[in-house]
Amino acid sequence: MTGKEETCVDDKRNSLLTVGLICAVLLVLGIADLCNGDKIYSETENRLLASRPAFSWDALFVGTYGEDYETYMTDQFVGRDKWVRLKTRADILFRKREINGVYLASGHYLIGVNDPEEYTEQMENSRIASLRKLVNRWDAKVMLVPTADNILTDKLPMYAPYYQEDRLLTKVKEAVGDEHYVDVYHALQDHAGEPVYYRTDHHWTSLGAYYGFLAWARSMNRYPYPYDIHGMQTVSDDFQGTLQSRINLDWAKDTIQYFPETEKKAVTVTYDLKDTSDSLYAPEYLDTKNQYGFFLNDNHAFVEIHTGYNPGKTLFVIKDSYANSMIPLLTTHYETIYVVDLRYFNGKLFQFMEQYEPEQGMDVLVLYDCIHFLEDFKYY
Amino acid sequence: MVFSSLLFLFRFLPVFMICYFLVPRKMKNLVLFLGSLVFYAWGEPVYIFLMLFSTISDFIWGRLIEDYRGKGSSRIFLLCSIVINLFLLGFFKYADFLLQTVNSIFGTTLPLMHLPLPIGISFYTFQTMSYVIDVYRGDVKAQRNILQFGVYVTMFPQLIAGPILKYHQVEKYLKDRRVDLEEISYGARRFVTGLAKKVLLANQLGLLWTQISSKETAQISVLMAWLGVVAFAFQIYFDFSGYSDMAIGLGAILGFHFPENFNYPYLADSVTNFWRRWHISLSTWFKEYVYIPLGGNRKGLARQIFNILLVWMLTGIWHGAGWNFLFWGLWFAVFLILEKLFLGEFLANSPGVFGRIYTLAVVLIGWVFFALEQPGEILSYLQAMFGMGGVGLVNSQALYLGSEYLVLLLIALIACLPLGSRLVHRLKSSKTGPAMALYRLGEKVIPTALLVLSVAYLVDASYNPFLYFRF
Repeated sequence: MTGKEETCVDDKRNSLLTVGLICAVLLVLGIADLCNGDKIYSETENRLLASRPAFSWDALFVGTYGEDYETYMTDQFVGRDKWVRLKTRADILFRKREINGVYLASGHYLIGVNDPEEYTEQMENSRIASLRKLVNRWDAKVMLVPTADNILTDKLPMYAPYYQEDRLLTKVKEAVGDEHYVDVYHALQDHAGEPVYYRTDHHWTSLGAYYGFLAWARSMNRYPYPYDIHGMQTVSDDFQGTLQSRINLDWAKDTIQYFPETEKKAVTVTYDLKDTSDSLYAPEYLDTKNQYGFFLNDNHAFVEIHTGYNPGKTLFVIKDSYANSMIPLLTTHYETIYVVDLRYFNGKLFQFMEQYEPEQGMDVLVLYDCIHFLEDFKYY
Repeated sequence: MVFSSLLFLFRFLPVFMICYFLVPRKMKNLVLFLGSLVFYAWGEPVYIFLMLFSTISDFIWGRLIEDYRGKGSSRIFLLCSIVINLFLLGFFKYADFLLQTVNSIFGTTLPLMHLPLPIGISFYTFQTMSYVIDVYRGDVKAQRNILQFGVYVTMFPQLIAGPILKYHQVEKYLKDRRVDLEEISYGARRFVTGLAKKVLLANQLGLLWTQISSKETAQISVLMAWLGVVAFAFQIYFDFSGYSDMAIGLGAILGFHFPENFNYPYLADSVTNFWRRWHISLSTWFKEYVYIPLGGNRKGLARQIFNILLVWMLTGIWHGAGWNFLFWGLWFAVFLILEKLFLGEFLANSPGVFGRIYTLAVVLIGWVFFALEQPGEILSYLQAMFGMGGVGLVNSQALYLGSEYLVLLLIALIACLPLGSRLVHRLKSSKTGPAMALYRLGEKVIPTALLVLSVAYLVDASYNPFLYFRF
């Protein structure tokens, strides 16, 4: 064989290998995808996945069948989680610090992105107006918890934009008056060096909730129940929360703790007027992706708590999920606590509150994180 | 259907290729034709009949023109074909634009039709027109085989985003084509390169442009405005040339040799030169079928200037039915005319860097007209670019976005220079030794890696736009 022929054979073999490799990727994945069963729900992404669209000639001609099928294919593609992970890795390699709405912050923190342009002045004003109505009618306390980006600002990527909640809070304070405003912002800022937020989840930790609780007690002029932050008990040390799901990468693991003092006296908790439990906590959630559901059995439209403390005292809380880890701390101050989550509640809040108000009256607390307040709060 | 989708990569492409390579040679055109119909029908189930009508109509006109060659009726048939083609294009693409214009000038309230634009109509009508004109000129013989002609019009690799094929470029491959393994390998690599350009670069930098252009002008600093327009320039280049790469690659796998459509356009040292490097198949189409027939540069300067203006208005409006596109075309016409008059000579005698910077500035400002549609938006964006937006040179958002996209922008910069292909060429031409071994390895590993990475970005695709819905 001459040299020329050899390179020719060599070229052939190389071409064959290149073509073979590319075909292999397409065929192996294509076949694997066809054999792959559909999932209804994605644990990691915490959402329903698209299912196979029903075929009809009508849908085909309008073109919706084609579109739906492509969404279905993307959602159900074989090894979806692994692909998302690979993409995140590549993004990190490209030195991106913001992936799928999450900042990769320093100190192994993931911090949710709240685009300042999304929250307009108009939005702020309309929420504050309804808040003011509620406060005037019920003499309520308002507790709007800043999100992690506002407290852990030094951990954000350089120049990263975030919605500045102190401006919103100043407006809220002015609108409702000092005596109705609980200053959690500065309470958390004073402890910004401590783990007051989870690293992989958008909620505050039990420690953060504890500082919130202290701020609440101060504004109520009450002695706070003496919880011991060194006596907190750990129920999980492998929590990976909502922010981790969005990047789908092993980033960090969080610890979930609670205050055992909250279990000293017996409680009765009723969820949505039907399911009753004798605990403020739901350990079964610790085996799922949504471990934060440990607190108050995740989110319910209406929760009723009866405790052995302070006979005759009643609290009514209007809240989002931030409250779930703080409400247990409040149980030592009230005999009865009613909790409404407006995202799941159908009905007139105003009438509902009047219906539950005891003769001697009740305290009312509005407890949201600033972002959910802007997105979900209403009074009607 | 678009190439950069899981559906195309993992359903259509494998099934089509297996059928295509299994059937005997005589049936390949049939498989390609049917496959192309399926490909088109997926997204445009109804307009497929429009495309078939266009195919049959020009097939018949082509034969009539040839059968009556030399007689007056031949010219009439040509005219019929062109009128039908332009009517279809005008009706489906420009009707609402014309109605709106009439409404705004005469204060009438003619109702708009709101027809969705048939994808690829601008590409395939230009192809069929090139065919009948070539036949009329006697440059090619009329196609007697409807299947071969159908393949020419509907062929899925270049159906929706070019390159625009002229009939004489592909005539012989329609009849008979052979491929060997090396061409298939070349085609596969070219396809994957194009896919990566679209998915990994264009889509990502497109996000940067979207973020910046959606901000209120009062927040756009000078740095941010330029960052935005550079991001758009990269997006449209990698998107469009990526589609062309994919088309050329698929064509090579099937045994076609499609013409190149881009040649490092951002290296151009004059606007004239830019348009020899950008969307080459479109600019040569206009040159061959409009500019030269109008007399080109052979009928005096005044006529040439008129010809340039006309051709570039048409080029502009081809990209979309809107005033901004018309203006975009005219913007280039002005510089082309200036270059014809004196600027070209001046540039030729000054250092090359100067011409490149001038060209880039013209092109980048041009992209603002292209990317934004409302005159108000265009004006305020240009003001921001030149420091009249009132935010100053730099703001923290610009620094944030700049650092967030720095690596991608650098990769994009390198990818639009011929460095990579020069390296490949050098390694390849060494024939032996470690350089060759490196080339052999890269040839296999890089495309596979790019393909896998592109799939990851497609699965997690929050952003995968199709830019040519207006063409």
